[in-house]
Amino acid sequence: MMNKRDKVTLVEVLDKVLEKGAVINGDMVIRVADVDLVYLGLRLILTSVSKAEELSGRSPGSHERELTEEDRAYIDKLQKEIKKAEENIPRLINAGSPRETEQGLAKLILSIVELIRKLMEKEAFRRVRKGSLSQVEIQKLGLSLKAVKKKMQEIQAIFGIADEDLNLNLGPLGDLL
Amino acid sequence: MDGLYLYCIRDKTEDPSSFHTGGIDGKKEVFTIIHNELEAVVSRVSLSKFTSREIQKKAVEDLNWIKEKAVIHEDVIEEAMRAAEDGLVNVIPMRFGIIFKNKTGLEEILSRDYVKMRRLLNKIRGKQEWSVKVYLMDSERFELIIKEINEEIRLKEKEMASMPEGMAYFMEEELKEAVRSEANKELETILDALFRRLGEEAAGSVKTKILDSEMTGKTERMVFNAAFLVHVDKVDPFKKALEGIDEDMQTKGLHLEYSGPWPPFNFTNGGEQA
Repeated sequence: MMNKRDKVTLVEVLDKVLEKGAVINGDMVIRVADVDLVYLGLRLILTSVSKAEELSGRSPGSHERELTEEDRAYIDKLQKEIKKAEENIPRLINAGSPRETEQGLAKLILSIVELIRKLMEKEAFRRVRKGSLSQVEIQKLGLSLKAVKKKMQEIQAIFGIADEDLNLNLGPLGDLL
Repeated sequence: MDGLYLYCIRDKTEDPSSFHTGGIDGKKEVFTIIHNELEAVVSRVSLSKFTSREIQKKAVEDLNWIKEKAVIHEDVIEEAMRAAEDGLVNVIPMRFGIIFKNKTGLEEILSRDYVKMRRLLNKIRGKQEWSVKVYLMDSERFELIIKEINEEIRLKEKEMASMPEGMAYFMEEELKEAVRSEANKELETILDALFRRLGEEAAGSVKTKILDSEMTGKTERMVFNAAFLVHVDKVDPFKKALEGIDEDMQTKGLHLEYSGPWPPFNFTNGGEQA
């Protein structure tokens, strides 16, 4: 019974002590802290972001985004992008040294990019279902979305960010994604 | 001027003054203030220091400070709870950060809320709080299981294999979405069953907040967080039920963690006391 301490993580203690337990309010009482663990989590992300900002003067890689007239050239390029990213991902994962210091910032930005990507994808799905697109258009659209997604995965691998990390908790508003 | 930091209120004990754990400020000793059949476990703190802007800020922003103080808070309550030789002393654990301006203020509350506190102590008498958390260790594995058991998903997968890449992308996304939603449904079913099953062995059960990985320090996603109030005689069957469930969970890529006995943090905070 007494060995509980050894096994219990700090989070168990925080989980109980900060939000649970009886509360007494009154004229004679002072409350030191009223901490919500969810907000504390969000605050931690923001703290790591400000730290990461100091370290990164980097700009994101340039995206060759110009639309070529030739469908074939466009599709070809996307396919190459996808292949390149696909080849890169396992290499980056195996490198095993995600840039932890920049993770907070990357996580924040990628979460927002992921939100935009999902919105774009949703719109694309809507159009595909509506049947207003030609086969070629569907093919192009699908490849574009796939390329963006692979690029995302590549960046995630660089920073060591898992899919489920791509989210922000907005407290009472719930999760971003 | 000194105030009194309150850790918990407990049943009267044989030896109310013996405490090894140091107080919340790292210096002052822990002692008790006795009121009839109640003991308030407290230590002195400097009022000017603990009401200072600096501390107020630390208390909501500085995780290291919070961790350090929260652990002391819990350690004192733990010692207060384990003061009896046979079994545990009934305690009403207080939330972190409650300070009385003076002894008179505390005694007034003890007197005013005496009946309420006695009733609360009686409610938890002979019972222990146990914590259960579940983590999703391997979401891919979990989704794989879903794929295997779902006919519709398998058919779609076959269809997809013959499509051109761009078109297959839409199918793939649709499929993933379907798998994810099926996986979530299945997860919910499993966890609901877990909550109900454990609840059968407990006198009280409550689901608590799911914590994100910033707080847990784990890469695995927390999917279940609950506390159970278990009668002393039921602790063994409760643990047995847990262990049985854990085996089943592991095959599905889920990991179950439990701990206890805790001071009954989750079963003594019914309604804030004005």
